[in-house]
Amino acid sequence: MQLKDIISSPCGISFMLEQLDLQSGYARRCLLDAHMMTGEPEISASYDVLRSFVAFIDRVEPVQLNTLLHKLMCLKDLRGTIANLNRRAVLDDIELFEIKHLSMLAGDVRRLLEQNGFNHAVEIPMLDDVVSILDPDGMRIATFYVYDSYSDRLKELRALMRKQPERQEELFAETTKIEDEIRAGLSGKLYNYARALEQAQSALAMVDISIAKARQMQQLGLCFPSVSATETNYCNLFHPQVKDVLAKAGTAFQPVNIVFSTKPTLITGANMGGKTVVLKTLTLCQYLFQFGFGIPADKADVSIKDEIYFCIGDEQSVEKGLSSFAAEMKNIDAVIKASREDRKILALIDEPARTTNPVEGTALVQALLSVLARGSVSLVMTTHYDIEPGEARCLRVRGFDKGVMNYELVEVHDGEVPHEALNIAQSLGVDDQWLEAARQLLGVSNNKNEL
Amino acid sequence: MPFINDILGYDSLSIVGLEKNTGKTECLKYVLERLPIGTTRVAVTSIGIDGEAVDQVTRTQKPEIVLREGMYFATSETHYRQRKLVSELLDVSNETTSLGRVVTAKALTAGKIMLSGPSSGSSLKRWMEQTHDLGINLTIIDGALSRLSSASPAVSQSMILATGAAYSANINTLVQKTAYVVHLINLEKTNEKNLSMLMSIEKGIWSIDNEGKLKNLNTATSLSQQIHLEGLENCSVLYVAGALVDSFLEKVRRDKHLRNVEIVVRDFTKVFVTPQVFNQFVNAGGRISVLQKSKLIAVTVNPTSPSGYILDSSVLCGRLQEAINLPVYDLLKN
Repeated sequence: MQLKDIISSPCGISFMLEQLDLQSGYARRCLLDAHMMTGEPEISASYDVLRSFVAFIDRVEPVQLNTLLHKLMCLKDLRGTIANLNRRAVLDDIELFEIKHLSMLAGDVRRLLEQNGFNHAVEIPMLDDVVSILDPDGMRIATFYVYDSYSDRLKELRALMRKQPERQEELFAETTKIEDEIRAGLSGKLYNYARALEQAQSALAMVDISIAKARQMQQLGLCFPSVSATETNYCNLFHPQVKDVLAKAGTAFQPVNIVFSTKPTLITGANMGGKTVVLKTLTLCQYLFQFGFGIPADKADVSIKDEIYFCIGDEQSVEKGLSSFAAEMKNIDAVIKASREDRKILALIDEPARTTNPVEGTALVQALLSVLARGSVSLVMTTHYDIEPGEARCLRVRGFDKGVMNYELVEVHDGEVPHEALNIAQSLGVDDQWLEAARQLLGVSNNKNEL
Repeated sequence: MPFINDILGYDSLSIVGLEKNTGKTECLKYVLERLPIGTTRVAVTSIGIDGEAVDQVTRTQKPEIVLREGMYFATSETHYRQRKLVSELLDVSNETTSLGRVVTAKALTAGKIMLSGPSSGSSLKRWMEQTHDLGINLTIIDGALSRLSSASPAVSQSMILATGAAYSANINTLVQKTAYVVHLINLEKTNEKNLSMLMSIEKGIWSIDNEGKLKNLNTATSLSQQIHLEGLENCSVLYVAGALVDSFLEKVRRDKHLRNVEIVVRDFTKVFVTPQVFNQFVNAGGRISVLQKSKLIAVTVNPTSPSGYILDSSVLCGRLQEAINLPVYDLLKN
């Protein structure tokens, strides 16, 4: 799976990508094409690189950083040109210009990093030989044409062209022939550097992406995760986008602590208690972790998954003509099928079967819990139904506490769901007659002290 | 040499034709041949596709653009590959046109090139800013067919207008229609006070009353049918940030409180008003002025139309000169 496949995921990863200050379109393309990492060495290595960039931007002078960012802005997509080179095609002036430009850029970025004491976490190949091939006069400026110094005859003809403009056409035809030969020669020489050029291009994109990630870590207050072999443990976890929205409205996000493993976790709690936000954040963090971003928490130990499923109930699939219930059943079905293969799965399921009648709904959820309790699935599921937890760990949002919503997750030992819906509705200012009638049906008194 | 020295007083020049085959490319050629490039660094580009060897619409022969040694130019990748001169590549932009990316280069020998530069006003502006870094003193834009927008003062400081028998084969109509465009180009700049108040406003319709108070009329464009001009008894200036159209101008003229109002538009390229409506408005006591104005350096004529019609060059030049009070040239004759 590539990063571009999950851009529209409801977990909010698009927010993180929008906040990422990448300098070049090429780096953005590379990032979106990145595959999700599922191996421990790969993930650790990527965070080691990121660590050295965080240290680098801490140390570097702002002026130097700006110069570097400005350089990275000039990075272009040369995949087409390099493919032509690999095919042993004769490159034209524009392609030769691009290669010279990239080679000089790679040298500049390499020097800027070295001057600022950057350790070689990203290896940018030296392309001085390429520059020399395309810069026979040693001018070291990033422009290109088939220089006079490539051929004495060419030089002669061009001088003639200037002196005898009336012979321009005839002379131009002859110079074109010579130029073509020179281009063929240059392309032949450059063929040996195709691999190095490719590496330089990816390395520069890598520098761009890493600096952007490092700066994002500082801006959003993200942490470096460590790889855990067993359970996943977040301390003071937050959702950057929700935090941002709340901050604009003048309120603070209440971070939560959560631990889960392959034992199912059941989250219950009042409406508006932030259960869905918890699932969103867990999904987001798992993706961020396996794509090598900073994690929005104070501390994070995360276990690696092969597949991540986020089933949020209210997805209707208009194109496929499925109702919300049908869409949900299909999504959850995919999780169950996947759980039967030998893969590590993280499944985050938000209030399954909520749109059907509570009798069958409860049965479906109860059964789902037991089906997914087998195999190597880390299941975190929220529900309003009364479920017998069995093996599952039960977490509850603390809920209304002295008139304020407390989003803290506390461990409870039964799956009993809280009955706070009426109180919450009342706090929203919903019609009294309606709520009073509901209370009478339930046989409870209007005890405001509960709030 | 007519008008070459006038051009040197400005950073940028656009050459626009009122119709295909009005001699725009001839005019560009004329200017490029005569500019003193020893003392001025010149960059040339074209907005949109231009410089084809054969006119794509009428299949008539079109002059190719000949650059002199040392001139800078921007064109598309496709046309760069077809160049007939030696040139040094300086930049390949990220912006693409239908003919590929736009490249900037410097001519190392004289020779022919097809020009097809940035395709939009904003990318053109970005390119022009970039040329400043190359030490360019004068940027010349070969404007697209009947797209006066490339001559907007927001893009270029000065302009040359090409007209001719292709625009109208009737000499009276030709003079009249050309004179109207010239009149719009030469619309007066509004006073300093209005300028400072309105320059930064980029959308909507606004009024300024006698006491100098600015008010937003909460209308997006002058095209809207729901424009309410009530309560504007003390209004002395109406500012239309977008296009100015007939229906709006008529509405203003019919309002007795707005008889002597001054309508301010951004520049002449925003005026989409027919001559009749324009004249009625002015005759009723109204005035139209602009925030930005480009200097019209000259008008050139091509008395030959692609359909074979040929007008008398000296009569045409004389009549037009009389009507617009500006020098008019037939460059092929000169």
